[in-house]
Amino acid sequence: MSKELNLWLDKLLSDIESVKVKRNSSRRIRIDVEPRALPALLELLQGRASYVHLSAISCVDWIDDDQFELVYHVWSYETNSLVSAHTRIPREPGVYLSIYDLYEPAGFFERDIHEMYGVYFEGSPDMGKFILTEWNGPPPMRKEFDSEAFVNQTFEWENYRPQWLKDLEEEGGGISIRPEDARR
Amino acid sequence: MRPKNYQAINHPPSNEFELNFGPNHPGIEGNYAFRVKLNGDEVLEAKADAGYLHRGFEKLMEGRLWIQNIALVPRICVPDPVPMEVCYSLAVEEIAGLEVPERAQWIRVLQLEMSRLAAHLFAFGGHAATCGMYTPSFWGVADRDLMLDRFEELTGGRVYSIYNIPGGVRREVPDGFLERLGALLDYLESRLPDYDNLFFTNQVFILRARDVGVMSQEQALKWGVTGPNLRATGLAFDVRRDDPYLVYDQIEFDIPTQPGGDCLSRNLVRRAELIQSIRIMRQVIERLPSIKGPIRCPIPNPLAWNVPAGEAYPRIESSKGELAYYVVSTGGDKPYRVHVRGPSSMHAVQVLEKLAVGSRLEDIAQIMFSLDACPPEVDR
Repeated sequence: MSKELNLWLDKLLSDIESVKVKRNSSRRIRIDVEPRALPALLELLQGRASYVHLSAISCVDWIDDDQFELVYHVWSYETNSLVSAHTRIPREPGVYLSIYDLYEPAGFFERDIHEMYGVYFEGSPDMGKFILTEWNGPPPMRKEFDSEAFVNQTFEWENYRPQWLKDLEEEGGGISIRPEDARR
Repeated sequence: MRPKNYQAINHPPSNEFELNFGPNHPGIEGNYAFRVKLNGDEVLEAKADAGYLHRGFEKLMEGRLWIQNIALVPRICVPDPVPMEVCYSLAVEEIAGLEVPERAQWIRVLQLEMSRLAAHLFAFGGHAATCGMYTPSFWGVADRDLMLDRFEELTGGRVYSIYNIPGGVRREVPDGFLERLGALLDYLESRLPDYDNLFFTNQVFILRARDVGVMSQEQALKWGVTGPNLRATGLAFDVRRDDPYLVYDQIEFDIPTQPGGDCLSRNLVRRAELIQSIRIMRQVIERLPSIKGPIRCPIPNPLAWNVPAGEAYPRIESSKGELAYYVVSTGGDKPYRVHVRGPSSMHAVQVLEKLAVGSRLEDIAQIMFSLDACPPEVDR
C-alpha cells in the first residue's frame, strides 16, 4: 500500500514543474495542474490532506485558446480551506476522466458539464440528458452558441400566429380585438 | 380483435411498476419530477427528472452587464433569494477589489438572517403538509408573510428584493425599521411554543418522521450534503463560522446539531436555527445604530463598468446549505462565466435518489421537504 502511495507521490512530483500553487488568502488555494496529473492530485488531496468535500466542478470555455478549463473546488472540514484545482483540456475532442470514484458529487457536475458544454467524462455513471431533455442542438453553454441569434432564427416571435389562434379567430374568438371593434 | 400474427408475450410474474411522481403533484417541491420504480408501496429505484424550470441563467448572465445580473440572480431560488444576491455581489467585489463599508455588511447580515428565517418557516410549512398536517403550513406561510412585510419596508420588494449590489446595499434602513423588526422577532419567538405544541412535539409528526430518510454522517460527507442536512447528522459545520464572510466573525451564535440524520432531526435543526437567527438579528439590531458610515462604496458608472480580469469563488451558508458562485472576468463589462453551485443541486438529485430507495412511496414527499430541496437551483 505504502509502495503504491509512494508511486503516486513520485508521479505527482515528476509533474511538479506543471503544478503551480498560489495562495490567494488564508482559506483559498489555487493549484494549476496538467490534465494527466489532476486525478492523482485530487486523490492525494482527499486521502492525505482531508479535502473530502467536492464543492463544485466549474467549466469555463476559453474559445480563443481552443480549450476548456475545468475547476475542481474541494473543501477540507479539518483545515477549513478550499483548494481550486484548475486544469485545461483541448476543446476537441473534449474528453476527460471522471472523478466519480473519488467524489460522488462529481456525478451531478460532470453530467451537467456534459450537457451544457459537451465535455465527455469517461467513467462517469450517467452521461444522459438531465435538464435539456428535449434539446437536440449544440451544447448551449459553449461560447459559439449565440442564444439570441438562435431565438431570432428559430421563432417568429414578432408575428406569432399559431394555428390554434387562427382557428379560434375564424370562429369569431381570439385574444386580439381589432382597434375599430374596441372603439365601438 | 387480435391480428393474425398475434403472439402473447409471457412476462415473468412481477409486482413492479413505474410511477411518474410529479411534476404536477402536491408532494413535489417546485417544478420537479421523479420516476420511481415500486413494488407495492416500497420504492426500488428513484430517478430525478429536472429541467421543468430551466431558464438558462448562467448563459443569460454572460450576456448582461455586471449590474444587470443583480436582477437575475435572486430568481434562482424563490424561497431564499437574498443569499443569491449577496453571494454574487461578494464575487464581483472580490474580483474588482471593492471594500464594502462596515454598515453595509451589517445590513446584509440582517437581511440574510431575515431570509433564512422566512425560508425555514416556509420549509416547516411544506413538511407539515406532507404529514397531513395543514395548520402548521398555514401558520408558517402567514408568519413568513409578516417577514415579507419587513422586506418590503426595507427593500421595496417582498420576495425579490434586488437590494444588494456590488459595493454595498442600495438604500438606508428606514426610520423605525429596527424597532418594528424587533417587535416582529418578539412575536415570532412567542409563536415558537405554539409551533412546538402543534408540530415539533406532535406525535403524529414524530412517529411519521423518525427513522425516515436516514443517512449517517459518513454517507452525508460522501454524498456532498451541506447545511442543516449535514448538521442533522451530528457534524457542527457552518460556513458562517468556519469560512466566515461579511461580519459573521463578530457575531455570537451556536451551531445546532442533531444526531439522527432522519427527517425528524433535519426539522429539529431548522427549529433550533430559528432561535439562532433571531439571536443574530437581535445583535445586529443592537449594533447597527452605532455603526455610522456610508452604505456602499463608490463604484464606476455601472453601465460602463469593466471589472478587472480575475476569478472568485465565495461561499455562503444559505438556508438550504452551501451556496457558491464561481465568477470569471476577462476585464469586460459582462461576466465571462458565472457558475452557480446551489445547495439543492446535491440534495434534490443524488441524495434524494439514494434516500428514497427502500422508503415508502408516501415518504418521498416528506424526504424531499425535509431536505429542503429547491428545484430551481438544480435547473438554474
